[in-house]
Amino acid sequence: MIEVQNLVKKYGEVTAVKGISFVAKTGQVTGFLGPNGAGKTTTMRMLTGFMPPTAGKAIVAGYDVFEQSMEVRKRVGYLPESVPLYRDMTARGYLQYMGEIRGVNGTRQKAAEVLERVGLTSRANSRIRTLSKGMRQRVGLAQALLHDPEVLILDEPTIGLDPIQVLEIRDVVRQLREAHTVLFSTHILSEAEQVCDNLVIINQGTIVAEGSPAQLRAELERGGRILVRTEAPTETVMEALRSIPTVAHVEQTVEGIVVTPRDVSVDPRPQIAQVIVQNNWRLIELRPLAVNLEEIFLELTRQTATPEEEEEKVKHIADENAVSVISETEEGSTHE
Amino acid sequence: MSSETVQEVRQASSTSALGQIWAVYKRELGLYFRSPVAYAVAFALLLLFGLIFTSNVSQMNQRAPADNLNFIPSLLTFLLFLVGPLLTMRLLAEETREGTLEVLMTLPMSESTFIIGKFLAVWTYYTVVLALTLVYYLILNAIGIPDHGRAVGVYLGAWLYGGAVLAISMVWSAVTEDQIVAAFLGAATVLILYLADLAAQFVSSLSFSENPQLTENLANAVRELGLTAHYNSTMFVGVIRAEDILYFVFLIIAALFITTRIVETRRWRA
Repeated sequence: MIEVQNLVKKYGEVTAVKGISFVAKTGQVTGFLGPNGAGKTTTMRMLTGFMPPTAGKAIVAGYDVFEQSMEVRKRVGYLPESVPLYRDMTARGYLQYMGEIRGVNGTRQKAAEVLERVGLTSRANSRIRTLSKGMRQRVGLAQALLHDPEVLILDEPTIGLDPIQVLEIRDVVRQLREAHTVLFSTHILSEAEQVCDNLVIINQGTIVAEGSPAQLRAELERGGRILVRTEAPTETVMEALRSIPTVAHVEQTVEGIVVTPRDVSVDPRPQIAQVIVQNNWRLIELRPLAVNLEEIFLELTRQTATPEEEEEKVKHIADENAVSVISETEEGSTHE
Repeated sequence: MSSETVQEVRQASSTSALGQIWAVYKRELGLYFRSPVAYAVAFALLLLFGLIFTSNVSQMNQRAPADNLNFIPSLLTFLLFLVGPLLTMRLLAEETREGTLEVLMTLPMSESTFIIGKFLAVWTYYTVVLALTLVYYLILNAIGIPDHGRAVGVYLGAWLYGGAVLAISMVWSAVTEDQIVAAFLGAATVLILYLADLAAQFVSSLSFSENPQLTENLANAVRELGLTAHYNSTMFVGVIRAEDILYFVFLIIAALFITTRIVETRRWRA
């Protein structure tokens, strides 16, 4: 159980976290979503006792992170974003070292157990410097699991992994849900949807949305765009769709024709369907365009951002987009 | 795993500061004996001592060479301004740079615990190098009659002196994450403390006061702050005074305390 109340973190003039509150329940995976620099890592560092908050309170596993830091640290497993490891040690040696410091009984056996759990038994005696990025990530995860913590805090555990490794890590995280509280940060929405029971979306140090993935998606899709695919000539169809009064914009994409509604609250789908039926076109597909994380951010942060910030964000999202498109296509291929 | 066994495991895990110091100590000491730097330092020192020892013994073969034994530990204490920072520069700077400090600081272990563990490891390494120079003592013992009492003072002094220098240069490893910068600042600090005698001479040559006694007291105070005043004129000649031992012990404790505080404030700045 993690309870965060009005947590604030200032770095000099800059306020990285501006009074956030949320609850992560035991037996659930709570996803912590946000663009880079949103305050995810800062929040996680405060929850693990690495950094004290400027103001506010956080209760982790029943103890205050500031007042009873040692009690919290005993009960938390933490995987930092950069996965810092001692590169000169073997995977087994590193885990035994961490186990000794934590005072885990039967360190040797425990290290073997967690290595088995993350699927690294065959590389247990390899020096960490020789392991691939994905394997190192798993060593870091094994370290977080070593002492059977009540609370697991994982900062972007799947970043930089190949699709198969991503699936493996997600499986491990899903299995952990039963006996643990898991707080899991990511910026890939599809991942959050698959793994998390509850999502907390953070932007510029404030929580902009909270709820189950299905809830959030449903809320946001209402204002979303529509994908239309027919067998009729594209130009003709686009021309016809443009004449619908509730439609603001029609464009052609690789997926098909994308229709943007004029008013978020008015769904243009009935009219689109009508036009297609009237013209006797053969319809292949008519569905809301999947909402991706970038769109959610745009949607949720539009009101708060100033024009300059908005411009920055668009640039930033363009970069992010490239990454998530790649990871999504890769995922597609592994599912096949 | 059922919830009962989870509970058992959670209760079974216990942490003691001594166990943690031991774990950190073992790892760091192992690193020294696996790292090329430590071997290079030991090799260079022992080669130098060997050459000096051989030339001294062969030149003084007509006289009793017993005093030469003292030359080697005292040379080691001088060279420590260079060797100490080289040995300690990695200790905390590397952890900061690699980010492993973040993991260490979220473990149920206080900063002082792992700093003490690391310090004891580097002091042990130094002790091993110092102990290796006892070879010359054994040789002298075979060909002459060295002053055993004085040797105790010389070696005890060199050992404490080393501890103080290592603790002081370790402070800089906590200040910066750049190992080279840490080494240079450490060397400068230790050299200043080594040269306090010169500063004292300079102070006593000044005539800023009517009262010559005041100048003399000031010069003495400066001298007492330095490392050499507590070694070269006391333990080096076989005089073991409590105040000198306390001086080195105080330096070690103060330096470790400062290091701990610096690492703690890293937490606030991070």
